[in-house]
Amino acid sequence: MSKQHVKPDMQVKRFSKAFVWAHAINALSFCALYITALPMYIEFFDWLYPILGGPANARLLHRIFAVTFVSPTVIYLIFDHKGFFHWMKELVTWKKRDLEFFTEFVKELFGFKFKHVKQTFFNAGEKMNSILQILCAVMIIGSGFPMWFPAYFPRAVVQWGYFFHNVGFGLAIAVIVGHIYLSVIHKNSRPGYTGVVTGKVPAWWAKEHYTEWYEEEEKKGNFPNLDDPKHKKGA
Amino acid sequence: MQHTDCALIIGANPAENHPISFRWLTKAKESGGKIISVDPRYTRTSAQADVYASLRSGTDIPFIGGMIKYALENNLIHKEYVVNYTNASFIVKEGYDFNDGLFSGYDEAKRVYDKTKWAIESTPDGKPVTDPTLTHPRSVFQLMKKHYSRYDIDTVTTVTGTPKDDYLKVCKTFCETAKVGKAGTIMYAMGTTQHTVGSQNVRIYAILQLLLGNIGLPGGGINAMRGESNVQGSTDFGLLFDNLTGYLGVPKATVPEHVTLKGFLEKETPKTGYWSNKPKFVVSLLKAWYGANATAANEFGYQFLPKGNKNYSHINLFKAMYNGELDGAFLFGTNPVVGGPNAGKEKEALGKLKWLVAIDLWETETSAFWQKEAGSNPANINTEVFLLPASASFEKEGSVSNSSRWMQYRWKAIESRGEARPDLDIIHELALKLKKMYANSPKSADKPFLAMDWNYGDGEEPNIDLVCKEINGYDLKTGKLIAGFGALLDDGTTSSGNWIYSGFYPEEGKNKSKNRDNKDLGGEHYLNWSFAWPMNRRILYNRASADPSGQPWSKEKAVIWWDAGQKKWVGKDVPDFKAVTAPTEPGGTGAFMMNKDGVALLFAPTLNDGPFPEHYEPFESPVPNAFNSQQLNPAAVIIEGDFNKKGDKKKYPIVATTYRVSEHWQSGSMTRNQEWLSELAGHMFVEMSEELANEKGIKNKDQIIVSSARGRIKAYAMVTKRFKPVIVNGKKIHEIGMPWHYGYKGFATGDTANRLTPHIGDANTMIPEFKAFLCDVRRAD
Amino acid sequence: MTKYVKYVDVTKCDGCRACMVACKNWNDLPAEPTDFLGSVQSHAKTTADTWNVLQYIEHENGKGDLEYLFRHSSCFHCTDAACEKVCPENAISYTKYGSVVIDQDKCVGCGYCVQNCPFEVISLKTYKDKNGKEYRKSHKCTMCTDRLEEGLQPACVTTCHTGAMEFGSKEAMLPKADKRLSEIKGRFPNANIYNPQGVGGTHTVYVLAEKPSVYGLPENPRVPASAIAWKDYAQPIGKMMLGATTMALVGAFVTNRLFNKEGRSESQDGGGSHE
Repeated sequence: MSKQHVKPDMQVKRFSKAFVWAHAINALSFCALYITALPMYIEFFDWLYPILGGPANARLLHRIFAVTFVSPTVIYLIFDHKGFFHWMKELVTWKKRDLEFFTEFVKELFGFKFKHVKQTFFNAGEKMNSILQILCAVMIIGSGFPMWFPAYFPRAVVQWGYFFHNVGFGLAIAVIVGHIYLSVIHKNSRPGYTGVVTGKVPAWWAKEHYTEWYEEEEKKGNFPNLDDPKHKKGA
Repeated sequence: MQHTDCALIIGANPAENHPISFRWLTKAKESGGKIISVDPRYTRTSAQADVYASLRSGTDIPFIGGMIKYALENNLIHKEYVVNYTNASFIVKEGYDFNDGLFSGYDEAKRVYDKTKWAIESTPDGKPVTDPTLTHPRSVFQLMKKHYSRYDIDTVTTVTGTPKDDYLKVCKTFCETAKVGKAGTIMYAMGTTQHTVGSQNVRIYAILQLLLGNIGLPGGGINAMRGESNVQGSTDFGLLFDNLTGYLGVPKATVPEHVTLKGFLEKETPKTGYWSNKPKFVVSLLKAWYGANATAANEFGYQFLPKGNKNYSHINLFKAMYNGELDGAFLFGTNPVVGGPNAGKEKEALGKLKWLVAIDLWETETSAFWQKEAGSNPANINTEVFLLPASASFEKEGSVSNSSRWMQYRWKAIESRGEARPDLDIIHELALKLKKMYANSPKSADKPFLAMDWNYGDGEEPNIDLVCKEINGYDLKTGKLIAGFGALLDDGTTSSGNWIYSGFYPEEGKNKSKNRDNKDLGGEHYLNWSFAWPMNRRILYNRASADPSGQPWSKEKAVIWWDAGQKKWVGKDVPDFKAVTAPTEPGGTGAFMMNKDGVALLFAPTLNDGPFPEHYEPFESPVPNAFNSQQLNPAAVIIEGDFNKKGDKKKYPIVATTYRVSEHWQSGSMTRNQEWLSELAGHMFVEMSEELANEKGIKNKDQIIVSSARGRIKAYAMVTKRFKPVIVNGKKIHEIGMPWHYGYKGFATGDTANRLTPHIGDANTMIPEFKAFLCDVRRAD
Repeated sequence: MTKYVKYVDVTKCDGCRACMVACKNWNDLPAEPTDFLGSVQSHAKTTADTWNVLQYIEHENGKGDLEYLFRHSSCFHCTDAACEKVCPENAISYTKYGSVVIDQDKCVGCGYCVQNCPFEVISLKTYKDKNGKEYRKSHKCTMCTDRLEEGLQPACVTTCHTGAMEFGSKEAMLPKADKRLSEIKGRFPNANIYNPQGVGGTHTVYVLAEKPSVYGLPENPRVPASAIAWKDYAQPIGKMMLGATTMALVGAFVTNRLFNKEGRSESQDGGGSHE
């Protein structure tokens, strides 16, 4: 932890309860869906079947988690529609700095020297993540229905359903692996991980990563001015 | 059948009901044979046929009669065959007449003919007077020509409802087989026989086949496809009420001569032909039945034989039962509550019995007739019912005889289940026990039973080998088995339980029905596979495959021929002829040796309803008879009253017929208890045309009600293009058809079609008229 | 290895359905009673317990004549079988005879084969284990591969009494079909040999009396494009992507260890844009 900046325990609210729940359910469902389908995707994992209580049970679990996987959108929308629409708006707002972000991001990712590009509530990487995840989810959920209820869909739809489920899943897992890495393992993003669990993040970290957002909130008086000495711990 | 050039299938649907026969027709087709299907309904047989023609049920005689006229007029007959091997040249005595549907000698009050009015003129030495030119106006040929001159194509097709083009196609295709070297066959089944003119239907096929020279040749003949695998065996063994075993007739109290054996034999034995040996067969049969109790002094036990004066056919037995004239009944593997005509009444009749013994594989609709599920009130029924479980064919050994007269032995495949036992065991034990019970009976009525020689062992199971040997027969002086019926005598020194089978077990350990050598010795007759009566002959009347001089009519259809060097008949089959009689000897051209004069009968003065088949409408018909003013067969016995209500054509305008499906057998008591067959044919349905369905507002798969004067049933409608209304005399006549297999027991259940059918039978055999009756249909809701 | 073909000449079939009973008998399949279907046909199509169904078709041909057509319908045993392609468990395989079989031990009842069969002949059956828990297995005709292994022919072929079905090497059967086609062209002008090449040819080859569509058969069946896109592209690429991402992150982890030892290095220089 850095000593020269702010009080390390200074926290600001980043996410609503709804978001936290939605994210958690979504993440857990995804993992469960992943595990329950893994032996179908890669035969190497057939040893999971007995653990899951046999193929029929795995299928049942997969369907239960399919429902829970769909639910976060609803939760988020109902309990924090503002946040939801804000998120949506962010996703469609792209500026030059978003592109700059990526060149710097790669450096950060591999631990090279980089500089922060000013970002709003979501940085370009997160926006990319969101967009990809939404796309994948649409693909997976959309194709999941005909797979689940083949009798109610034309055969071709069911057949293409398998394809899109597969593609959606392949893409999603790639994105998720990155997402999880960045949040859980990559040390620079670690505060983000606690943030998505508690809803709060260290103020200094928020300011560093989401400068524009932080400054906006600061102006509104919601967040402390970190440059204000009274907030400085060591100085 | 595989050698046929043309198979005319009428009154039968072998593709569905006799599928194995169709295997051979498929082979015939591959070698260029044609198939003609004549049926009210376009069947799976029709689908495989080259020519299909529809007809209204019950109009076979006009259909074939028109073909006869066509063949005669277009000179499409095998004349040399007709002149030599049929009675075409015989001169009929003066006094024979045919007028507006009635032959001479009709007694309207009794509804019977005096058949002596149809006699053939004979020379002083008993030979028939003939005219080989066939021009004598009283020759059979000319009388026949005159009789069928009325069956012109227009009249025929207005009666049968057959489209004229189709009809002409049938005539042309089938009459091709009149050519030397060609052979056509007619295949028929219950669609032909189950009519008030059933016997005459078969007769008219025979006339056509004789004119075309199609009898006695490979690929020729008239093939009866049986309703059951052992019908042939059962009729051979005297199961018909009017025949002793081996078609020897029955003594009747109504015939004065039948009072004594001598009188019976004199009256019933023709002077010429093979039947002149009848006394030998009758006496040998009596010896087999009564053993030591049959002596020359007691007319070989002739007086033990019942001499009834009634008609003991199925219909009449049930009528007697219905009238309370019967105390009890044994029903072996029979289910009249489903299979009998006017089945509702047959079920009622069972309730008039004091006791009923049903011997069957399952509890059938018949043995359960008293149950609530059968629609009965058990409280009102006093019949005591015994159900004895019987073994299935795989659970016992014995023989069956097919319609090619092959007696094929079968071995037991599996043990019987539970307490089930073979029929033969049941009869055997019953006989032994009854013999013991009645041993000291002084009643004369019990004498015949006590006189019976029951010598099949004392155990619970009879010795089947002893039964087989008794059928073949012994020389009673030496105790040895006889080689064939030629060895039978009328002096009581030989025995034979069934003369026609004599020779199937000619020596110890040589039961030929067990023969299983499938090597072909020529002509694909497989002479060492099983045994065909008589004397292992495979094609009956095969003498007719050769010309009068003894040479085959054609190389393609050669069966047997006279070998002048060896001085005997040789060939691919056993000659159905005296093997050493040269063509030039007296009787050397008598190809039909069972008949008195050695020829086939175009004119048959033996049937009850006329020497020539004539068209009469079914008991219930939607139209008046167009050929004469006799609506119904004048010799058919009419049962009136509650037991057989007759439907009016105004109330019941639709012709109905019954049939079977591949998956079910008879009344379905075996097959409806088999799940794999039941799933294939699980529902009672009624097939009808789209036109009728439209008229009645019925859609495919609807539930419908079919009603006749005798009952009503519920079923699914199967609306199909394969049924079309026929135009009869300008009037649209609808016909429907339905399977008769269903009842309420088993896996596949449904209403019983025979609740609709009438209690009326053929004038000769009393076979019920299941195949043409009137009904009406409506939607069930 | 010789490939075998079940050759079905529908023009010789008389619709007796002995093939259906023989199949149930040999394979010990339970009866499956159905509702009345409005025709003689017993089952609408093949099911997990009814591996072959005899079709009965009333068809009015071009001349307006009624044709009553029959067809023994069961698995085609495609050379290029969609079911084999989509099975995620490799439970479906080709035998040396050319038949396509489902390994019941490996089948997980996912139903992918059911949905992808171009002929719709595969079905799932639900079972109950001893705890009453339901599970599913996929079933179809095996071409009696167990009989073939014993040198016998498929039960349906053995029982067929009109010779509508024959079984033999592909080389022997295909010329028979050609010959038969030329014989029946007069009676059935639309007759054709149905051995669809879209699935690499089949091991059940038909001589049909009418166009395939009359029998409800696809005119040009193929392995669904979706199945090819899925199994030949999406799945391998997906697996590769999964591998590549994982590798990239492992690389990232390692490089981080190497170059980013002091932790939040970004704040020292690069991160100071707001300062």
